[in-house]
This record gives sequence, C-alpha cells and structure tokens, in this order.
Amino acid sequence: MKKVTALLLAMLLCFTALAGCSQSEPQGSGAPPSNPPQNSSSPSEPVTITVWHDGDEGIMQTIAGQINAQLADDQITVVFEKKTDMPNQLKLYGSDASNAPDMYFYAHDVLGSFVAMDIVAPLSDVVDTSILANHLPMTVEAGQIGGTQYLLPVYFETLVFLYNKTLWEGDIPGTTEELYDYMVAHTDTAAGTYAVVNQHTNAYNVSPFINGFGGYIIDENAKPGLTDSRTIEAATYNQKFGALQADGDYNTVTTLFNEGKAAAIIGGPWLVSGIEAAGIDYGIASLSDIKLPNGSGLAPFSGIQGAGVLKVALAKKDALAKVLTAMASPEVGVDLANKSGCAPANNKSYDDPQVTANEMIAVIQKTASTAQPMPNIPEMGVMWGPVETMLTAINKNGADPAQAAADAQAAAEQAIADMQ
Amino acid sequence: MRQKSRWKPWSYCVPALLLILVVIVFPIAYTGYISLTNMNLYHWTDYGFIGLSNYARALFKFDSGFLAALATTLVWTVLNMAIQIGLGFFIALGLNAPGLRLKRVYKTLLMVPWAVPAYISILLWRVGMFNTEFGILNKFLAMLGFDKVDFLASNGIAFLSCMALNLWMALPFMISTIDGALQSVDGSLYESATLDGAGFWVRTWSITVPAIRPIIAPAAVMTTFITFKQFDIIYLLTQQRGYMTGATLNTVITYAHQNAFASNNYGLSSAVSMLLFVVIILFSILTNRSLRED
Repeated sequence: MKKVTALLLAMLLCFTALAGCSQSEPQGSGAPPSNPPQNSSSPSEPVTITVWHDGDEGIMQTIAGQINAQLADDQITVVFEKKTDMPNQLKLYGSDASNAPDMYFYAHDVLGSFVAMDIVAPLSDVVDTSILANHLPMTVEAGQIGGTQYLLPVYFETLVFLYNKTLWEGDIPGTTEELYDYMVAHTDTAAGTYAVVNQHTNAYNVSPFINGFGGYIIDENAKPGLTDSRTIEAATYNQKFGALQADGDYNTVTTLFNEGKAAAIIGGPWLVSGIEAAGIDYGIASLSDIKLPNGSGLAPFSGIQGAGVLKVALAKKDALAKVLTAMASPEVGVDLANKSGCAPANNKSYDDPQVTANEMIAVIQKTASTAQPMPNIPEMGVMWGPVETMLTAINKNGADPAQAAADAQAAAEQAIADMQ
Repeated sequence: MRQKSRWKPWSYCVPALLLILVVIVFPIAYTGYISLTNMNLYHWTDYGFIGLSNYARALFKFDSGFLAALATTLVWTVLNMAIQIGLGFFIALGLNAPGLRLKRVYKTLLMVPWAVPAYISILLWRVGMFNTEFGILNKFLAMLGFDKVDFLASNGIAFLSCMALNLWMALPFMISTIDGALQSVDGSLYESATLDGAGFWVRTWSITVPAIRPIIAPAAVMTTFITFKQFDIIYLLTQQRGYMTGATLNTVITYAHQNAFASNNYGLSSAVSMLLFVVIILFSILTNRSLRED
C-alpha cells in the first residue's frame, strides 16, 4: 500500500510540475488573457488597454484619469502598469501576444531599439497622424525613426538649474566661468557643503556641456563622437566643475540639496516632489541662460515622454485609435502641467493661463530653445556605458581626457559591432 | 520481477529528475542553442542558425582584459575563502567556548547579514558605509580629524571594500556550518588529549580540524563557486550605471557582462556564457579532484 501511495504521489508531482507548461487557448490576437476578444468593428464592448511604464505613478494616473474620463462613453479603460526596467521587460515580452501590453509609455531614446526589434507599430497603422498637428515639432521629430512616426509625444523634460533661495547668494551667474568662481568661493568639500551639485559623470547630466561645445555622443549614422575634439573639450571643461560637486551619484547629490548642504542642483522636474517634501524654498533657472566660454548657452538633452503601440495589440485598433486621440488632446497636457509640472508636447495646452504661469514649465520651455532631443537610434542604448566610463575616468581618476575618450570610443564601437 | 525492481527506484526519482531537467538542464541547453543563432536586436524573432561563428567572436572577448579579470577573480576567491574559513573557524570556536553566556543570541545576530537580501545589503553598504558624504566610515574619519576617503574610487581600495562586504555577507554561512560540525566532535577525544598534556593548538590541529574537515568540505566547495562567480557585489558597488565609482575592477563575470551582455546580442552573450560555463566546470573538476585526493 505504501509503495502504491509513493508511486501515486510521484505521478501527481510530475503532473503538477508540468501543469505550468500547458498552453492556454489563444484569446483573440494580441489581447492579454484577462481581456475579452476584441472585434475591431464593435467598439461598444468594454475594452481595457494596458500600458506599461516605468515612470512616476502620479503622472500616469493623471494621464489615465483624463483619458478614461474622455472615453467613458466608449467603454474604453486605460490601465497603466508600472514595470521596473520596462525597456528590458518589453524586449522579453514585446512580441509575446499573451504577455505583452497593448501600449508602452517611456522616453523616446529607447524607440530605436523597439523599432529594430519590430515590436512597435507605426502610429499611422492605428490613427490619423494629424492628431499631432498642434504638437511642438521637436517632440514630434523625436518620435520618428526613418521618417515614420512611432511615438505619440505627451510631455517633455530637460535639465534645469534648481537653487535654494535661502542659501544662494545674489543672482544666478550668466556664464559658466562666473558659476565656477561662485562654486570655488562657496564650496567646502571637507565640511560637506557645496555651491552646486550635479551628476557629473552621468552622460545625460553632462550633455549641457557636450552639446554646448558642439560635441556629440553619437550621430544619426550611429558613429560615436567621443573622440570629437569638441566632446573632449567639453569633458575636460566639465572636470573642474566635477571636482567641486561631491561624488556625483543621484542619491548623494539629491540628498545634499534636499538637506540644505548644497545651494543648487542641476536636475529635472522629477526632483521637485522631493524638494517640496523637504520644505525647501526653491527657484528655477534655465541652463540656456548660462553661457559657455564659446558664447553658447548650456544645451542639455531633452527627453520626450510618450506612448507607442505594440504590434501584437493591433487587433484593438479602434480602441487604440481613440486612446491615442485622447492622449494627444490638449486637456491631457493641461492636467499634466497643473498636477505634475510636466511641460506638455501639445502646443494648444499652453493656451491655458495656469500652464503658462507655471515656473518650471516656463523654464523648460525656454531651455527647449537650446536643448537637443536625445538620439533615438538603437545604437544609443549601448552608448551610456562607455560615456559614463569616460567621464568617471576623467573626473574621478584624473585620467587624460584624450586617452579616456579614445578608450571609450573603442569600447562604444565594439559594443555597436556586437549588436549585429 | 527483476526488471520491475530495476525501474521502480527510477520512477520514485522522476519528480526530482524532472525538476532538475526543467530548472537546470533546460536553461543550459537552451543557452547552448541560442549561442548557435544570430538572435539579436535586429533578429529578435526571425533568428536563424549560424553555426559556431558566435564562438569565434566570443573567443576574442577572452583577451588581455579577460586574463586580468581572471587573475583578479582567482585572487578574490583565494583571499575570500582563506579568510572565510579561517575567521569562520575561530568565531565558531569562540561561540562554542565552555561557559560563554548568551550563545544563542550571538548565533542569531550573526545570521542577520545572511538573512538580509544581497541587493539591500550592497546598497546599505554603498551609501551607509562607503559614501564620502554620508557613510559612517567617513563620519568616523572626520571625527578623528582625517580627510575623506573614497573607499570605492580606485582598484586597490575598492577590492578591499568589496571583500569586506563579501565577508560580512558570507561569513554567517561558514560560521554556522563550522559550528554545526563542531557539535559533532566527540568530547571524550578532547578529555583524553588534555590528560595527555595537549594544549589548545594541538587539540585544535590534531582533533578538531581532521574531525570537521569532511563536514565543512562540501560547504567550502559550494562557497568557493559562489565567490568565484561573484557579480552583484562588484557590479552594484562600483559599476552600476549612474553610480560608477572610478574603480575598473572586474571579475570574469562582470567582464563578460560589460563586454557582451550590454549589446543585446543574445547569440553572442550566450556563446560567452557557454565558454564561461566550460571554465567553471573545469574549475569544479579540479577542485573536486583535489578534494578527493585530500
């Protein structure tokens, strides 16, 4: 009897172990299992559109709230799901009809990778792209690959100069040299008090110098520009600022500013909630107003946040078209500006007096005159590592900038070759 | 009848074998299969068989940088294991000292580093211990009037910092294993040795060490592999994007990650993984052979 029981238990274990390997019945094509099958010609049935993101929950709730209110009569519901390291998750599941979301929401710099993987659909496959007629050209272009529009831009962000009004003495300097003099006079590294902090080894945060000097990280032909003389000049110039900006990692610099140990920080609107929670009376200035020795204003990268449609979700075309149309509406931009301080991509949103009165948005809009959208080609994905290695070597190890740039260029070229 | 009894033990083992097949064998075999294809960003779903060309490319990854990483890994493994076994042994002996009060409390406290998830421990050490502005070590140095020290900035000091954290995280396992082994040593051996005039070192060297060696050997081998393929401590302390410290320290795994895995070329990175797998298997055979000879 014991033997029979043991055999039965062994068989049961085998079956339960294999149960997870079973394939469920396909539900429509591209619809997640929890959703009913979609008929593109009958939009009156309830439809849920799932959007993966890796951003601020409050911002996503604002977008979802506005869209769901607009589409309530159509019985369409948008659900935002936060996924840590969303780009890599989408690489794994983006072509898997049973697990992929219907849309994703992220910055434009990963778009090239998704297009190369052939997992996102051109917007024109779903909706008339005239919905972008009122959008800022910079944001629209950032969502294109090879002239095809893949990303619906919703809002954009860039780096600004945030300062503590209580600690900062005098006006914000008009040149980087004046800023440096101020930093020398007001920084005491031994005591742990700083004039300005920045993530000085992070490519995104050093982009104001690189772009301002006319250098580049990678061009549209996927050629890394780390050994370009202007990029090296920018990295060399950034070195003296880095020496007065503490360790330069995100947690250190934000904590220094939020604890009142740094009078200013170079950062984006994503820092505001923490700064306000710390009770700091802060001011905002545009980086484009601070001129480099060559006369150009600091020119940070800009990131365009927007939504793309997964190819596996095209069965829900009608619902997706309505969601995209609602997402492109000026009302979403107004809500985002008023509730989360985001700069809308739709120009019509700026007709709202509350939006134009928002200090952060005004500064971001002003900085947009010199800001450059991050490259969105697939090769950009492998550039962040080599650039950061180069800046770290220069700023933290005192490496020769030309040598560090040559090493990083070789590493970047190898990484790009390895992609193929 | 004999035929039946031959299959019966196997049938009892089927669930365990099936689990091993699904959890261990299948991923290795699938990685091997992917390594023979051109699966990358541009061929995500339409990848095809390309023979051994990924291996030819992967071998170029085993360059002078890889050899330096291999040397670092060997030094890292030897030092960590020597300290873990040596220090673990003496701490375990201390915990078993007759008359020691609150033994259980100490043993429980010693388990804490092992119980905390590695990711949390590493972040805590990076910010709470090593950070130049907020780290407790620098606060302490400042109190004594010394300058700030960046414990992760250059290879030498970063190696020692990573090792300190690894020891903090790994010692509890070694201590508890040795502690368990010490319980199994027959106390009468010590009594007769003491009567024969043996001191502490003689007793330890001639009774304790030979008695516990077969028990701690599997744990030591297992820990050696975990130490050899260490990735998270070195990566998260010194190389994570946004937190690069300036140290260019690499173990074989962080080197492979840096050079193959960042490119989204799954075919190439699988080939590198398979080659690393072969290196680790060879290392395992050598270790097991020397253990058997012992």
